[in-house]
Amino acid sequence: MSELDQAGLARLRDGWISGGAAFELAPAEWKEVASAASPDEQERRLLAIAAQALDVALRPAAPKTLKRRQPLPVLALPMLPERLRPLLRAALKYAADARLKTRVATLVASRGFVTHPMDWMPAASDQAAPEVYAPWVDWQAGADGEKHSRREQLTAETWDDFYPAARRIALADLRRAAPALARTLIETKGASEPAEVRLALIELMRVGLSADDISFLKSLSADRSGKVREMAGRLLARLGERGNPTDAGPQDPTAELAAFIEEGKSGFLRRRTTYAPIKLKSPAQQARRADLFASCYFGDLVARFGKTEPDLIGAWQFGVDDNADRFLVLMVSVSGSDAAVACLADMLVAEGGKLTLLVLQLMLRLDSGRKRLLIRQILNDAQNLHALNLVEGAEAGWLEWGDLANGKTLSALRSAVSGDNDVMKRSAEQYIEAIGFLATAATAEKLIGDVVAAGLPPASPSLGLLRLNAALAENRSQSDR
Amino acid sequence: MQLDLKTIEALAPDQASLGAAAKLTKRSNWPRLEAYEHLPLIWGECQGSGSNPYRVAFDTSDHGYKCTCPSRKFPCKHILALAWIGATAPDSFALVDQTPDWVNDWLGRRRKPGQSPIPAAAGSEGKSIDEATRPAESAPVEDTAAAERREATQRKRAEDTRSAVSAALDELDQWIADQLRLGLAGFVDASSERCRRIAARLVDLKATALAGRIDELPARLMALRGEERPDAAIRELGKLVLLAKAWRAAPDDAELKRLVSTSETRDQILANPDAIQVESDWEVLGEKIETRRDGLVSHATWLLDLGSTTPRFALLLDFFPASAGRRSGAFAPGDRFKARLVFYPSRNPLRALVAERLGDVVAGAWPVFAPNTAGDPLAAYAAFQDGAPWLAECPVILPAGAIALDEKEGAWWQAASDPHGIALPVAGSVSQTLLGLDLAATAALWNGARLELLASQSSIGRLDLS
Repeated sequence: MSELDQAGLARLRDGWISGGAAFELAPAEWKEVASAASPDEQERRLLAIAAQALDVALRPAAPKTLKRRQPLPVLALPMLPERLRPLLRAALKYAADARLKTRVATLVASRGFVTHPMDWMPAASDQAAPEVYAPWVDWQAGADGEKHSRREQLTAETWDDFYPAARRIALADLRRAAPALARTLIETKGASEPAEVRLALIELMRVGLSADDISFLKSLSADRSGKVREMAGRLLARLGERGNPTDAGPQDPTAELAAFIEEGKSGFLRRRTTYAPIKLKSPAQQARRADLFASCYFGDLVARFGKTEPDLIGAWQFGVDDNADRFLVLMVSVSGSDAAVACLADMLVAEGGKLTLLVLQLMLRLDSGRKRLLIRQILNDAQNLHALNLVEGAEAGWLEWGDLANGKTLSALRSAVSGDNDVMKRSAEQYIEAIGFLATAATAEKLIGDVVAAGLPPASPSLGLLRLNAALAENRSQSDR
Repeated sequence: MQLDLKTIEALAPDQASLGAAAKLTKRSNWPRLEAYEHLPLIWGECQGSGSNPYRVAFDTSDHGYKCTCPSRKFPCKHILALAWIGATAPDSFALVDQTPDWVNDWLGRRRKPGQSPIPAAAGSEGKSIDEATRPAESAPVEDTAAAERREATQRKRAEDTRSAVSAALDELDQWIADQLRLGLAGFVDASSERCRRIAARLVDLKATALAGRIDELPARLMALRGEERPDAAIRELGKLVLLAKAWRAAPDDAELKRLVSTSETRDQILANPDAIQVESDWEVLGEKIETRRDGLVSHATWLLDLGSTTPRFALLLDFFPASAGRRSGAFAPGDRFKARLVFYPSRNPLRALVAERLGDVVAGAWPVFAPNTAGDPLAAYAAFQDGAPWLAECPVILPAGAIALDEKEGAWWQAASDPHGIALPVAGSVSQTLLGLDLAATAALWNGARLELLASQSSIGRLDLS
């Protein structure tokens, strides 16, 4: 379109916007085409010409500054084969929240694949996503500069080449392989980071925590961030370093907490010491006790009673006060030594029943073997199957058929899906979904057949994760050939 | 299968439904009939009056059912026909070991009835399978005078309709002139009310299709930024002027009649020797489902011809009442199938019917279409407008490109080969993930102002964007 036409169109447009006859404003050629007997018809003809000019001859002008994102990084694992994507989408659709969707992605990653980014992407704040997704987490967080996430050795020199999520994972790897080197890096590079990042770095010290870390952690007692000081104190407590070694008299919070715990004796032939929470008289007391459990360290409490950690754990009277039990377990989780955590977990799992559920508070400190033991125990008595969805950091794809068949879970599931109770059916479907994550492919396949035979519709969405699990194994075996 | 005709009789809402179902039991109406090996479940696709086949599923144990047709009878004739075939010709069903996704969706949502299925004997009063299958009594032979009277009536009706539509277009012309006189600034602000009024008048004067288009005009304006609306109003109203003029010049033109008053029926299209038929492999690019102000839901399914060397599209368009609830379509984006499509006669044939579905096709990349010589991604749109300048949107295949954001976070498709030149604004918001992907080819609808993305091919495969 010529400049004259464009100028004419602009005049017409302005005329029509404000209203009234615009014929005289049109370019001469347009007027020739549009001339007609009635003024209204002239305007309509011009309108038709203008419409076509706008439609075909003019295009929306692109802004000069269009921003493009960096290309989505290619991940270290191959993308899920196209034919499995419907199964993935079905499993993701059934997963009720972000945590359960991440669990689906974890299963997929455990079988050597990543999801299609249009099916599932980790959020920028997602720290539970499988490590392989770190470049996408950084990409989501808007890391759009020149650098790229790299899977090379993390050193002081390459520190800035890593985006936050990738760096966190590389640092955790380094803590496992060379803890002293990682500590030095945190010490050198962390100091210049803001408090929030510093806290995340210090938190990583939990990986491979050892006595060699004591002096660095002690040096953090002068850190300007209260949260960092608190984190360092907890880590020191895990290493047996008492947070409050001197008796501060009646103002000592550990002493105040100890006053909420009653020492007693039990047994006729062999007298042994027991510890039980005293009966509280007011909500104020309950609140104070909760605060003290949250702020004191387990090592200090143990020392207060002059016992060892296993002694206090063994002597604790579980079941007297459920809240006190939970606070104590949380306290061990936060500041108990690795040995105390293991001892407490083993004891609670061995007790079974509802005490087993207290182990859920210890999940972040448990090794994979103990997590499996917990899950097996939950499946074995089938009393608290809902806890399967609460087990944090569980591994995918290890549960064998025997783990299901030897306990009460399988019969409980069969009975729920074949019965008429909708509530039980819905619960059973949630358990099936959870097992879909934990099971081996063979177990998944077998469980589908079993619950379908018991009456669950074969197309039930709750079978989505089991089906994906089973299909992933098929695919692996095909690609291996 | 535990089905018998007495059960179907009991299930039927009335005798008329049984009669209609009887006519649908012919195998040719059912391009797909399948049964699940391990469960009392049958399903199929029935070619109804819509452009898409209806999807029908039936649980033979508890007589639960699902059909995608808009009928308000429950169960509808399609369900009854499926069950009827199940009872009388179970071998017609191919046994499969996997249920399709749409059946899964239904099974996942449905709640089984607390009570046992309707006993076969109950509820069948006044309905009879025998009566439904009895051949209709032969119609009395029409005498010549009666035939002439009928034809005359039809001619009169057509003439009345044409006069009414002509009057409708006169009123539309006047209305457009009024909007220009009053100013488009005011029109944009009050478009909802003004369009509603003229649309109602057009309905009265039998210009129903045109009324529907004008009713949706405000929504199209409001989807744009404020400063773009006057231009969009000029485009929309100018196209209406062109359409009205074209109809006056050729009131019997099938395409123009379709756009102004009413569309042909499925049977008329199938029987039309001038209708183009294309047998090819098709991919479902995407769907566009919109609830219109007139209470109808329009369900558009866009297809791409995988066998053509230049981009060829087809549009399956169905309407159903919004009150009928959410319907699932016959196809999902990304589906591929071989089919014979019949196109509605048009200057740019797009709207089509699936005449015959001939099986599924394996997934894969799109064909590499020859780039247009002008290097203009909208060259197809310009050609489209040359033939039918009154049309509002046109499907296009865009070359390699990417999605970028402007300062107001508005999305733009930008050609890969010329990052500072060709860029087109994208309707609505886009997935953040899309911003990090290079798009090898993109299928979209261009309406003169915005691209509506349908699907893309990328280094990580097909992207569903509709």
